Amino acid sequence: MTRTEKKGAGAMLAGKSTVVITGATGFLGSHIMASMLEKGRRVIVLGRPSQKEPLRDRVEKLLRWFGITWPTGRLYTVESDFLKPRCGLPPERYAELCAATDQIIHCASDTSFFERGRARVFESNVGCLKELLEFASASGVSFFHYVSTAYAAGLVTGLCPEKLPAASGFTNVYEESKALAEKVVTGYCSENSIPLNILRPSIVYGDSVTGRALKFNALYLPVKSLAHIRDIYLNDIINHGGKKSRECGIRLGAAGRLLLPLRIYLPKSGSVNLVPVDYFVRTALSIIEKTSHGGIYHITTDAPSPPETLVAFAERFLNICGVEIVCGNSYNKIMRNPPEELFNRFIEPYRPYMSDGRSFERKNTDAATGGASVPACSYETFGRCMEFAVAADWGGRVLDTGQ
Amino acid sequence: MDDILRTAGNCRHYAMCKIDFLGTGVCASGLEKHYASFYPQGRMDLYAALAENRVPVTEKCVEISESCDLCGKCDYQCYFVNEMRPSKVMKALKDRVGSFLGSGGVPVRTEDDEILRGLKRIVGDYWASGDPAVKVAYHRDLCPLVDPKMPDYVVMPGSKEDVSSVIKFLNAHKIRYTVRGNGASSHGLVITGGTIIDLNRMKTVEFDEKNWTVKVGPGVAAFDLQREAAKRGYRVNTAEPAALVCANIMCSGMVSLFSASYGIDADNFTDAEFVSVGGSFFSINDPAAPNMFSFRNSDTAPRAFCISADIKLHPVFDDESGVIVPFEALAPAVEFARECAMRRIGIAVGVLGSEYVSAFLAPTKKAAAAAKHVFEKKLGMPYVVLVIGDSHALRSVSDLGRPVINQKLFRTICLGMPALESAGWTGLLSDVSVGEPFDYLRLEKFSDLAEAALAPSPAEFTRDIDPELRPFFQELYSRPEMTDIVRLNTFRITSSRIGRDKPFAALVVYLPMDYALISEMKNGFAAAAGKHGIKNEFGFITPIDGGKRCIFEYDYYFDNNNPVEVAAVRKASDEACGVIAEYSAKTGAVRWIGHIVNQGCARKENILYG
Repeated sequence: MTRTEKKGAGAMLAGKSTVVITGATGFLGSHIMASMLEKGRRVIVLGRPSQKEPLRDRVEKLLRWFGITWPTGRLYTVESDFLKPRCGLPPERYAELCAATDQIIHCASDTSFFERGRARVFESNVGCLKELLEFASASGVSFFHYVSTAYAAGLVTGLCPEKLPAASGFTNVYEESKALAEKVVTGYCSENSIPLNILRPSIVYGDSVTGRALKFNALYLPVKSLAHIRDIYLNDIINHGGKKSRECGIRLGAAGRLLLPLRIYLPKSGSVNLVPVDYFVRTALSIIEKTSHGGIYHITTDAPSPPETLVAFAERFLNICGVEIVCGNSYNKIMRNPPEELFNRFIEPYRPYMSDGRSFERKNTDAATGGASVPACSYETFGRCMEFAVAADWGGRVLDTGQ
Repeated sequence: MDDILRTAGNCRHYAMCKIDFLGTGVCASGLEKHYASFYPQGRMDLYAALAENRVPVTEKCVEISESCDLCGKCDYQCYFVNEMRPSKVMKALKDRVGSFLGSGGVPVRTEDDEILRGLKRIVGDYWASGDPAVKVAYHRDLCPLVDPKMPDYVVMPGSKEDVSSVIKFLNAHKIRYTVRGNGASSHGLVITGGTIIDLNRMKTVEFDEKNWTVKVGPGVAAFDLQREAAKRGYRVNTAEPAALVCANIMCSGMVSLFSASYGIDADNFTDAEFVSVGGSFFSINDPAAPNMFSFRNSDTAPRAFCISADIKLHPVFDDESGVIVPFEALAPAVEFARECAMRRIGIAVGVLGSEYVSAFLAPTKKAAAAAKHVFEKKLGMPYVVLVIGDSHALRSVSDLGRPVINQKLFRTICLGMPALESAGWTGLLSDVSVGEPFDYLRLEKFSDLAEAALAPSPAEFTRDIDPELRPFFQELYSRPEMTDIVRLNTFRITSSRIGRDKPFAALVVYLPMDYALISEMKNGFAAAAGKHGIKNEFGFITPIDGGKRCIFEYDYYFDNNNPVEVAAVRKASDEACGVIAEYSAKTGAVRWIGHIVNQGCARKENILYG
């Protein structure tokens, strides 16, 4: 903790009704932080120290991206470690923080799907909860808001209720950790009489109006993968005679459109549950600000997108054709060309979400939001988001891109 | 310091200008005159000495200068290794001497003293010299631990009888001497103030295929022997290409990644002939011979000098190939290499760090730095295990379940390195790798895809090379052997690039193939270097004796023209030797290569376990 931050902490403690946000440097957390600040709320950001860049600098960069000037007296950063007692803070500092905190919005999460990161994912998503919940209890917070995922429901079929997950099987370690985390949070809050909201977004993409986003996984990654594959073969055709392209049946068609025969293998037909980040934020804030007794809320859409539609959007955006969805168990039986092999490996972690048969109950959410509708994922929205992603080099230059 | 003098002062003394490793031919005067002074390496030393007024223009200086026809072969050779162009030094030398003569200067004539006359009586007038222009090529190498010393005489015997006579003569006159083959020299072992006995004229190569051996004289370089063996369908276990085989046996025992199966030290020959320090002959298989197979774990003075060795020939199979097995960390790489050795998988096995891989592969310093970044950061493979073997061995490697870079993909990555540096899609590869970041290597047809994506081409690969030399290098890299894993490791022509960025001092130890021990010593070496601000890098590990032991090299890099760095690397090396001594005492199983000097004929069991 820097001296400046310590000095700032004194001012921070002047009054209550301050919201503590974790994960404010992440995609969802940063949007919630920005909205809270825009609404005039006092915010304390808790985040991990980083050797590369102090938390304050990271937050400052994000605020610039949102077009927000640092609101002196209303925003504080506290570098903390939820794996250490008292969040790694000195006793007096911790006490001050507890005194200032009114609500906690816990957005921090490790979203890796990969089994190799199991220990790290569980440490981040579950292991950190103990200290955070004790902090909530010590603070006597009026509410604890936990940002989970709709997919904490696990491997179930049909309608997923706005209840704690009952499934024992999960698509990946992320889902599994979030389901366990929900139970841990619920148990603790219940025992300690802390009102709790669990917010469960499905797959969140960029802003439906501006196209802006900070993270480019989920919906973006398959499109980014296709873009790279397209560029590889365009380069082969334009600069190297196209021998490798011809071997795969790839060629340049009319109006420079690339015929890219590529089959995307999905285990079954289904759909992708997508919500834009502006909808997520509006809904989350409604829930946070308006509910009085807590609950579980699915921030999802009732009109998920069929993968065929998204493929058509991607083809149009990338000026390619020939991409095809193949459902069933033929993946291992069919000879695949190199780009098919690569693409299908690229999307492997996301495959279950591209052929999802689950739907999500929204009773609580509709009640909290007055039934506000979810913006549809139209081509216009899709294109805007992808254009922004390309301009941001799929994340490489995101904080330098378009204020 | 001007550019020409800087080039002259940066000669690494790896002797790569003495072997025809690029097919350009070798400096004609060097081949004819044999003295180091008549090779580009010697002329670099001579020019620097003249420019700094350390030697006068002598008669031999004029001969050395005039014998250069400015053919430019040394440019290709030295650029390949060090990105330097010695021909400008050769030209400057000619200009300087020409200008001296043109202005009426008279070259200094070195008068023969009694000793020199005696030496000339043994070897013939031409083959002994006290001329400073000859001697200056023998007065230093880049070892930071040894100060330059000008020898009194250089003598080049033409036969073993000559060697014996010269040694007896020098002994009789109580004159110090050092015997060398006149190959690569970077450890200060051949720097003496007395007489240099240079065996470079003794270049016997006689194959005895019935007994799977080849007899080599002390002037035969590893590359030349390997080339002759390859022509007959064999392989020999040799060290660096310009190292001389007999000298190598004596200094360190021959070590390469092939030592994993061919062995080390006495494993490499069936017989060897020596001249003792007293000047008498003996063969190592003679029952009355000194026990050259024994080993004492301490500094040892030479007992004899190897004047020929019957080197073992090994078979080469048509289905041999190589694979690179990547790793995120050293521990699993060591374990994998050990497992290969214990299961007797592969002919050559070794763990390489990204410094070696990138330095070996890249044609320039700039490209090497970029390649290192690519291997470490983009591809997530700071360590690799290289395995060479026949199809059965490589199938076994696959059966061990690791993703591998095969020969085809290796070529693609090498020649496609410029595209790989800037490729945006590589980030996706690690994103989607479920296990290790390079799991994508398991993708069927990844090689095809990489070929499409990287468009490997010698033209792109050589884009940073000096435009004058680029056409040659473009043609060179279009040859399949330049990206052939087996050939590159058999002939080792790229290993001398280790010192391209800066000269290096190697810390080499033999120790149990136990990661915990390796790691502790590695950390000790790194700490010693770090304390003195010296660049340091992991080098390689090769399993030996079926993976029970290994050879581990760690390198310190320094600027030989910067006295501060030289002083720092000396201190760091001293401390590193302390680390070796500590672990040697603690484990009883660590051997320092410095103690193998003069004992390289020893039986490996005596070295490793004695």
